[in-house]
Amino acid sequence: MKNKKYITVVFDDEVPMLQAVHKIQESDQSIQDVLTPFPVHGLDKALKMKRTRIPVAGFICGAIGGLFGFLFQAWIFTVDYPLVFGGKPYLSVPSFIPVTFELTVLFTAVGVVSALFIRSRFIPRKKFEPIHDRITDDRFVILVDAAENEESTRSSLQSLLAGISNVEIV
Amino acid sequence: MDEQYTFTKRVRNILAIAATAGLLLTVASIFIFKPDSSRIWANVLLNNQLFIGIALGGAFFLAVHRIALSGWHTALQRIPEALTSFLPVAFLLMALLFFGMKDLYHWSHSDLHDPVLEAKSAWLNLPFFFIRMVLYFAGWIVLTWGMKKQTDALMDSGDIKFHNRRKIFAGLFLVFFGITVSTSSWDWIMSIDAHWYSTIFGWYVFIGMFVSSLAFMIVLIWFLKRAGYLAVIRVDHIHDLGKLLFAFSIFWTYLWFSQYLLIWYGHIPEETIYFVQRREDFELLFFLNLGLNFIIPFFGLMKLDLKRKLNWLAGVAGVVLIGHWIDYYQMIMPGAAGEHAGIGLLEIAMTLFYAGLFLFVVLRALASKPLLVKKDPFLEESLHFES
Repeated sequence: MKNKKYITVVFDDEVPMLQAVHKIQESDQSIQDVLTPFPVHGLDKALKMKRTRIPVAGFICGAIGGLFGFLFQAWIFTVDYPLVFGGKPYLSVPSFIPVTFELTVLFTAVGVVSALFIRSRFIPRKKFEPIHDRITDDRFVILVDAAENEESTRSSLQSLLAGISNVEIV
Repeated sequence: MDEQYTFTKRVRNILAIAATAGLLLTVASIFIFKPDSSRIWANVLLNNQLFIGIALGGAFFLAVHRIALSGWHTALQRIPEALTSFLPVAFLLMALLFFGMKDLYHWSHSDLHDPVLEAKSAWLNLPFFFIRMVLYFAGWIVLTWGMKKQTDALMDSGDIKFHNRRKIFAGLFLVFFGITVSTSSWDWIMSIDAHWYSTIFGWYVFIGMFVSSLAFMIVLIWFLKRAGYLAVIRVDHIHDLGKLLFAFSIFWTYLWFSQYLLIWYGHIPEETIYFVQRREDFELLFFLNLGLNFIIPFFGLMKLDLKRKLNWLAGVAGVVLIGHWIDYYQMIMPGAAGEHAGIGLLEIAMTLFYAGLFLFVVLRALASKPLLVKKDPFLEESLHFES
């Protein structure tokens, strides 16, 4: 991705940005990526993106966490260190539920975030090179694939997005 | 835009026949099987509570969405509104309990000789019980009527002042409902086991009401869409209703477990007796309750695609409705009917009667007005929102 050439189109609002996405999709240009400071409704549909598989990772991590939490407690309180609490039997399921629930949530949360980081190659010490200085603040950026001759792409984009307000083509 | 539901003769006949058959079968089973009178009254209370819950859940749904200035529900607001039209009928049915007090509530007996119940007599006495019942229904009916009136006014004029007035009624309803839903559940359900109490009981009943109301709304939308109405309700609306059903089913389980865990851990005989009775004499229903109200909606609606399929969602909603019938059964029957309890023709027939009557009243109210509030300021947002 890094050595590929692209043209940066910057917007200060999501509505013209979405219009531009639709316009570029209809033309013969192709969009490499769109970067926004917050999730924009309808953007993933406009970009025809495939559904993320993060929820599957979340479910698997949650199931592991729940099972681990339950079985770990069951092992502790029946085999490893049996103690009588309040006259209950060793294997008293209701008292395991809160911890099982918490571990399910913990495993899901940590698992989903790790899966996201691994999938998007967010490894430690990776340097952050912002494409635009205000990308995490209030600017919306479309990256359009550039042809061999960058100038031709730029000029065709300029004419394509002429009707849309507050556009800045870098 | 001016689409209006027609309550066809065929549907009307089916519902009228169902209600009549339910009533006749109820009477027949009373004469044939001669069930204990406590079981009959407990059934009346159970069905009252279930359908009042569905009606009040609809009112709560409307009020909370209006207070939050929500837009998405605008296209389907007529449906919860129609549910609330059952409240006046429910009042008449609830007033019937006057004849069954002695069978249902131990505290209503005059020769108690019971220091615990005598100490509670300031709240639990017959005149005050019925005064409270009238107050609850008066408040619920007047405030939902107020919301309805302003929506009707919005229908033609679209003046923002009607929307603001509707918001005031919604706020008043929420405050009134927040208090009365707790107290009414103490009065009608918790006081069956008058020695026992649980501080979370009002919330537990309330969330059951809201979940069953959501489930009923989903089934009703499924029915209306199959009949060819409400094309404006898109997959996004269905998805949001599915999310609510999913989330509040989990919340119901949370409250159920909060009540169970503390009583189980506390191990105080006067509290544990409540669950001992239910787990030993009603073991199957005790676990079925959790299965139908938690396991099925939790795994059945976890995946995003499944929440967006109306047929599947309506199926899960139907299961949840049965689950909440069982939930009320668990709350009411062991205390009220005890060893006379059972599930037989009487239970099925009485529920059939109530369901037929409820749907008849609701669909008649739905047919009396157009399905969309044309000039609602939020309608445009609701028609275009994405979930």
